[in-house]
Amino acid sequence: MASSEVPDAQLIARALVGDDRHAFAELVRRHQSTVRACLRKLTAGNHALADDLSQETFVLAWRNLKSFRQEARFSTWLYRIATNCWLADARKRKEELLGDRDDQVADDDGNAVESGQVHGDHARGATLKIDLERAMAVLTEGERAAIVQCYHNDLTHEEAAYVLDCPVGTVKTHVLRGKQKLKLALAAWAPDGAK
Amino acid sequence: MTNPTYSTDGSTNRDWLDGLLEADGADARSSYVADGGFTARVMQALPVRLTLPAWRTPAVAALWIMALAGISFALPGAVLDIAREMYRLLGAHPVSLSGMVGALLAAGALTWSAAAYALRTSE
Repeated sequence: MASSEVPDAQLIARALVGDDRHAFAELVRRHQSTVRACLRKLTAGNHALADDLSQETFVLAWRNLKSFRQEARFSTWLYRIATNCWLADARKRKEELLGDRDDQVADDDGNAVESGQVHGDHARGATLKIDLERAMAVLTEGERAAIVQCYHNDLTHEEAAYVLDCPVGTVKTHVLRGKQKLKLALAAWAPDGAK
Repeated sequence: MTNPTYSTDGSTNRDWLDGLLEADGADARSSYVADGGFTARVMQALPVRLTLPAWRTPAVAALWIMALAGISFALPGAVLDIAREMYRLLGAHPVSLSGMVGALLAAGALTWSAAAYALRTSE
């Protein structure tokens, strides 16, 4: 954030007290990129769904702005709402494609080995990204959310616990289990010494 | 990256997957998702908030005072009669302070509940 920018807290106060929609629009403009990127990661690259959930996130933030007690950063509070929106949606859908994705990841592991050997560094990086996205899809909701918060959003375990509304120990467990599954799914990408 | 990986025995260790996830996260954070009309769509979807403007309460109180003053100015006899009857009624059936407070609280709660319900249904 540039030093000349109005702080989030001031915009929140204006949106709350004066019902200032322009102030809230500035907050949306400021945080839309991180919220949408986070939801894109959680939805395993489904941009349309991520944008729908992002919109829902900001509408909920507007409705519940009064309950934001500044105990966390505004962005962290938004991550919390976004994660809850995604969890509610994922439970509603019951991850009907999970079985298909399992097969897909298994197939792609084979492809990844091949493409990693054939293509150059750039193509290798792109393929790895796709493989990582697909491997993330096989994680449970809790594992995926914990890994996204800790690595993608670069939150501490304590902040991730706030976002996920669970104890810190649970976050650590989710991260550990998630990583174990990712290691299996991405075994082809492991350096020789780590296999 | 601020999150070391904890092994089950509590010690920290980092491996190739940490590096991979950290690099992927850093890459995602450095790339900006263009707004592309997103903010405008959100603003269109925002509901009207239920909160009342700050000036509403004193304005309503002033209107009530003006209305009561107007009635007592227009119908001084009627207002005096009502006040006299009220005084007589209270004198004949003395009401305790707690009873009056209870009645006032109940009336207030009913009024505000009705106002909140009306605002909610009219939204």
